[in-house]
Amino acid sequence: MQRTRTTILAVLAVGIAVYALWFQSRPVVLKTATHEDVLAEAEKGGYRLIDTGKLWEQYRKKPNDMFIVDTRQEWEYRTGHIKGAANFPMEPTWYSRWKERGAMEKFLGPDKNRFLVFY
Amino acid sequence: MAVKLGYTNVYRDPLGFPAWKAEGHPFETASRQPAPVTAPEKDYGSLTGWAMLWTLLGIFLGGMALNLTPCVYPLIPITVSYFGGRSSKGKGETFAHGLCYVGGLALTNSSLGVVAAFTGGLMGAMLQNPFVLSAVALILLAFATSMFGFWEFKLPNGLTQAASKSYTGYFGSVFMGITLGVVAAPCIGPFVLGLLTWVAGMGNPYLGFLVFFTLSVGLGLPLFVLALFSGKLDRLPRSGEWMVWVRKLMGWVLVGMAAYFIRPVMSQTMGNVVLAAVALGAGLHLGWIDRSQANFKAFGWMKTVAGIAGLVTATVLIGSMLMAAPGAFWHPYSDQLLKEAVVQKKPVIIDFSAAWCAPCRELDEITFRDPEIVKRSKKDFIFVKVDLTRKGNPVYERLLKQFDVRGVPTVVFINPEGKERRDLRLVDFLPPGSFLVRMTKISRPLTDGPSN
Repeated sequence: MQRTRTTILAVLAVGIAVYALWFQSRPVVLKTATHEDVLAEAEKGGYRLIDTGKLWEQYRKKPNDMFIVDTRQEWEYRTGHIKGAANFPMEPTWYSRWKERGAMEKFLGPDKNRFLVFY
Repeated sequence: MAVKLGYTNVYRDPLGFPAWKAEGHPFETASRQPAPVTAPEKDYGSLTGWAMLWTLLGIFLGGMALNLTPCVYPLIPITVSYFGGRSSKGKGETFAHGLCYVGGLALTNSSLGVVAAFTGGLMGAMLQNPFVLSAVALILLAFATSMFGFWEFKLPNGLTQAASKSYTGYFGSVFMGITLGVVAAPCIGPFVLGLLTWVAGMGNPYLGFLVFFTLSVGLGLPLFVLALFSGKLDRLPRSGEWMVWVRKLMGWVLVGMAAYFIRPVMSQTMGNVVLAAVALGAGLHLGWIDRSQANFKAFGWMKTVAGIAGLVTATVLIGSMLMAAPGAFWHPYSDQLLKEAVVQKKPVIIDFSAAWCAPCRELDEITFRDPEIVKRSKKDFIFVKVDLTRKGNPVYERLLKQFDVRGVPTVVFINPEGKERRDLRLVDFLPPGSFLVRMTKISRPLTDGPSN
């Protein structure tokens, strides 16, 4: 009786452990975002999109009026970034967004109407 | 996110830097920021944060479990009635006596822990030696067989008798606490010795104190609570066969510790297999093979939980080994290879490591399995591994002198021109993000784009 219970529970627990291991180390294929995905995300986040051409136009006219933020990892930033951009490494998870919100506000400065571009 | 913070003019450039660069717009590679925003590198030498909390919790529970061993458990009613007897005046006094008792217990154990940690520098160095590691493991195994009941671990009679004398007053309570360690040594001694070796290896007196203080509180707390409610005493389960099971559990913990100590001596795969085998053995023995019974229900559940814990640990150990991501691509060392690297203008990373060094393993298991690092190890970099597990290779001896390597791990970064960047040299574990920053610093910089 006791052993049957232990055996059943053990089989269950081992099964869960195997599944958790597989889930954690499964190969993740990153889907390349389509244009629609990007649009939907922007809609949800409440920000606007800008393309390379428009950005360049703005940049050429008044490069000092805009603040460009490079959200990639520090080593990616170091291999090359838009001239004048500042690095604020962000992982695209809600946890890191929540964790970094204070630092982000300090980083962006007090001017709420500043022209901000993230990439 | 910037929108939520109240900024109104927020844009996102979804094509990002690659498109910008392809159009030939100005870019740069040097950092414009005076200070990096990334978190400062942490001290990985000791336990921090959650790991610390979980370890202490485990030790606390271990301390509580030690109460159930055959040396301590029979003492519980005596100790409790001792407190109860002298506190006819009320709960307050019992409480004070209990505090004295736990305090005395903590005093002995904590000083043991601190002393062990102070010898840590020495012990730490010794614990890198394969022979010492094997000896420690053998001793732990010997104690484990004692726990399994093959032989009896006994202290000299005089010592036990002196320790079990009782004194009156608050000092008496402190003294009882101090000497509990001695009386209970046959059961808890092996466990405490194992823990001492571990603390000594860490070499941190503060941690040594904390670990043993937690252990004492865990050991003393049940007595303390029982003394406060001495009426509940007769509801405790009787001493019996089940305590032998608890001893076996402690024995398996010791076998596990022995396996942990000899792990660096063996290859990585072998070490994991041995640990998994111990976990499997413990689970099967404690959960199924052992037939001890007890007259209280919780015991059945304790056996079930121990059995399942052993099996799940074994599964996780083997599973994570089988499913581990591929590692970086390593070349064996040759002078030719370094010359070739200069011709190809590729930076070289030389990792001096050894099987018995813990941070080297951490580098191998975490940093050198990072997908980006693995990718670059095959393409833009040449990774060279120098394995110093066995001494006496003349080429390696020369390299040690040439690069002035004082210990392992040492990771040497050589730029595409064949010169070492001494400022990037690494002598400890480093997480993948920071390692990539160093890799970027060493690789050939992109020439800055047109400046308008």
